[in-house]
Amino acid sequence: MSFVESKIGPGESAPGPEKTPVLEIEDLRISIASAGSSFEVVKGVSLTVCENEIVCLVGESGCGKSMTALSVMGLLPRGVARVTEGKINYEGLDLLSLQSRELRRLRAESISMIFQDPITSLDPVFTIGSVLQEVVRSHRNVSRAEAKEIAVRALVQAELPDAADRLDSYPHQLSGGMRQRVMIALAIALDPRVLIADEPTTALDVTVQAQILENLRARQREREMGMLLITHDLAVVASVADRVAVMYAGEIVEEAPVEELFADPQHPYTQGLLRALPDISVSRAGLYSIPGRVPSPQTPPPGCLFAPRCEHVLDSCWEGNPELKREANRSLRCFNPQPFEVR
Amino acid sequence: MKHTASRLVYTVIVLFVSSVAVFYAIRLSGGDATAAALPGSATEEFREEFRDRLGLNEPIYQQYFTYMGRILSGDPGNSLTNNKALTTMLSEHGRNSLILGGTAFGLVFLVGVPLGIVASLRRNSWADQGIMSMSTVAMAVPNFWLALLAVWLFASRLGWLPSAGCCGPKHLILPAVVLAFEGIALTVRMTRSSMIESQNSDYVRTLRAGGLSEWRITCKHVLRNALIPIISLAGLRIGQIVGYALIVETIFGWPGLGQVLVNAVLRRDYPVAQFFSLVLVALVVVGNWVADTGYTIANPRLRKSS
Amino acid sequence: MTGIENSRSSHALAWDERVAAYEEEVRANPWRKRLREFTRNKLLFTGSLLGIAIVGLGLLGPLFLGSDYAGQSLRNTHLPPFTDGYFLGTDQYGRDLLVRLCIGIRVSLLVAAAITSIALVVGMVMGMCGGFLGGYVDRVVRSVTDFVWGFPLILVAVLLAGGLGQGLLPVILAVGIVNIAAITRVVRGEVVVLRTKEFVEAARASGVSNFRIMWRHLLPNVMAPALVLASYYVAVAIIAEAGLSFIGLGAQPPLPSLGKMVADGRGFLRLNHWESTVPGIGIAGLVLSVSLIGDGLRDVFDPQLRHEAKGVEKG
Repeated sequence: MSFVESKIGPGESAPGPEKTPVLEIEDLRISIASAGSSFEVVKGVSLTVCENEIVCLVGESGCGKSMTALSVMGLLPRGVARVTEGKINYEGLDLLSLQSRELRRLRAESISMIFQDPITSLDPVFTIGSVLQEVVRSHRNVSRAEAKEIAVRALVQAELPDAADRLDSYPHQLSGGMRQRVMIALAIALDPRVLIADEPTTALDVTVQAQILENLRARQREREMGMLLITHDLAVVASVADRVAVMYAGEIVEEAPVEELFADPQHPYTQGLLRALPDISVSRAGLYSIPGRVPSPQTPPPGCLFAPRCEHVLDSCWEGNPELKREANRSLRCFNPQPFEVR
Repeated sequence: MKHTASRLVYTVIVLFVSSVAVFYAIRLSGGDATAAALPGSATEEFREEFRDRLGLNEPIYQQYFTYMGRILSGDPGNSLTNNKALTTMLSEHGRNSLILGGTAFGLVFLVGVPLGIVASLRRNSWADQGIMSMSTVAMAVPNFWLALLAVWLFASRLGWLPSAGCCGPKHLILPAVVLAFEGIALTVRMTRSSMIESQNSDYVRTLRAGGLSEWRITCKHVLRNALIPIISLAGLRIGQIVGYALIVETIFGWPGLGQVLVNAVLRRDYPVAQFFSLVLVALVVVGNWVADTGYTIANPRLRKSS
Repeated sequence: MTGIENSRSSHALAWDERVAAYEEEVRANPWRKRLREFTRNKLLFTGSLLGIAIVGLGLLGPLFLGSDYAGQSLRNTHLPPFTDGYFLGTDQYGRDLLVRLCIGIRVSLLVAAAITSIALVVGMVMGMCGGFLGGYVDRVVRSVTDFVWGFPLILVAVLLAGGLGQGLLPVILAVGIVNIAAITRVVRGEVVVLRTKEFVEAARASGVSNFRIMWRHLLPNVMAPALVLASYYVAVAIIAEAGLSFIGLGAQPPLPSLGKMVADGRGFLRLNHWESTVPGIGIAGLVLSVSLIGDGLRDVFDPQLRHEAKGVEKG
């Protein structure tokens, strides 16, 4: 496959097996309550992010990726969604059992998050400098001048042009790409160990997307952060990921190092996603899409959640959902894996 | 700056148009103006001479300019019923009206905004539901009836407060509360929905992710954003208070501009009606402009554009 | 790909059926849900009940009691309720308060209906023309409505009463003008959004006339918000009429208006407070029922306002 070669920058220091995990999600389950009924949107997700590693969580919209990310931050929309089971460990602390006060101290300082829409994600009535400094000063006991210095340094690192002069700008005076750089500055200002980015480039112009990704990756590498990047875009995955977890209907169906996943996808859903990527070398008539739709959480299929859309479905697939089986450095949830054929 | 300047130009135009509108509206009745000033037995020649003296026989646009000229030179004329100079009446009654209206305006925001904030922070609690049902009822109760109930309870029954009159602090309480009542109810609802919208916004999520405390986010960011739409409607609240002042001043015998205007209309004392209508209209227009300027200051998106 | 269809197992077919059944249910749901909300909505229910009771009293009362609202009986003045066959007592001239209340309700309703229908029709026409036609039409519509909108209703009414003399006409005109501006603003705002929607673009591209687009495509879409808004302005109209009649500018004696009745009873609060309280409760009840109906309608028709936790989970 040609995706791996298209990485931005050299794929230096592929993480070895001895990496220390910084964020471990174990059997996470999240339910959404709406109009009297409640249904599960995240169904037992386990995921580990190690130091100096970018893990991409891939899947169609609505598969529960954002919910997983928000639950790490303790930012699930209150009264709507809640974690019903599972553990989230950060350096030995169970985030789900922390007091809100302790969790708050970890945010930005240890675990940061970047959101999808930079247009609405910044407070419109305060200057970006004042918000940055406010966040810094709420975690560190520093003077105004020092906080300002940290803020400028973060903006420079996020590669916002004329960073020092932009402190007094309001969000509406900046472009979408610049605002996302401010969001990055907010996220990295306090040098966290874990960075969660939820579709950070989806809302941006294509030309800006690559720059932002490159910047995120550079910051991650130099600080050796663990990074959880959520995306639906396999091109993004190919260009930055170390490891990839593919999510479908609230479950992880396949997880593998990025080279292996692209070279040898095993789950029929992953195969479908790869096949659906437009390839300029192939004629347009060849555009592929996975048949069918994601099952709604209200009517899950009886067995494997992917069975209704699967090409290699067996009768046994309708009878029970396969376990996620770990094998060497990758895992797979499938009864009937078939070798991948590019069509 | 550009926004503020263009609003100023707009305000001046509105002032001009409304002065024309007021002038014509009062003159719709034509020659009736003599009825108030002259006894019924006055002869037609005498009435004619009276009209001549007041300039009522000139073309109406000319009357308008003569009239505005006199107002701008500080001599709008005298009342037909008691021959008092209108400027004297303005300074006497205007002061009373400013006291009453200013108090009510303050009450609207000092009571309405905090109650709305409490309701939004304790959403769906008994406090929220209590505040919201009270405000629904408060908007349904017409203020003149509320005034009567208040007089009956606090003046007649309990004897705590005077039922009418002027101008001590005790006299002020009942009319000011009644005048502010509906405005408070509206402000409560508006504050609540605006706070809730702000609480659910993406930037609040960003600030939470930044590890700021809930208290800080609410007091600084949510509140500041929520106040913008409230300030933008302050102009409407001014208009509402001016309008209701006509009724409330009449009920409580509070000698302000509203009472004078209503009496003038009832007695067909048209110089008074015309002049005080103009004054109140100008007050509303200028009040709107001030509120708009406040809105511009509160909203950075309008303050400077780059 | 065709291989899949051919080899569909019984499991797959059973699953397809289940999904189809569920989707059918969901598709049927919006209307069923809306209807259920309509009946379950407490605001709407309470408001309608209260409204029906008051309107029923106003319309049917005089059929049984007669409509002699001006008949004086100087021996029976200031009677409290339930005395000498007067269900609600009498006023200072010994006029039957219940009969006057019924007629007062009729006056209130007639004035409110007149005002609201004027405001609705003119406001919708102006709003649709301004929003859809744009250009100078829109500029005129906007400056006129912005101009009127800022003015307090009562002041406008007093002004017109100064020109036209006291009576219900200046009240209807003044409140009508202000409410026209209010409805125009909202309708215009809706239309400006609708104008760029595909179905309008498509109609325009296929050469449908402006008038037809407004009538067939825009009107049905602005109807619901305009009606919800109008229900609020019914309340505004009732309060304004009562308030103006109270200070002597609205309905003229002996025609009973609820506001005027409250004013008449004012002097006798200590003697027989019912003369003021009864019509006051009448006004408050009318206004309360109309605003409850308005709140309920908004909940049913405008889910945007109701779902406060919107934009929650997308990924």
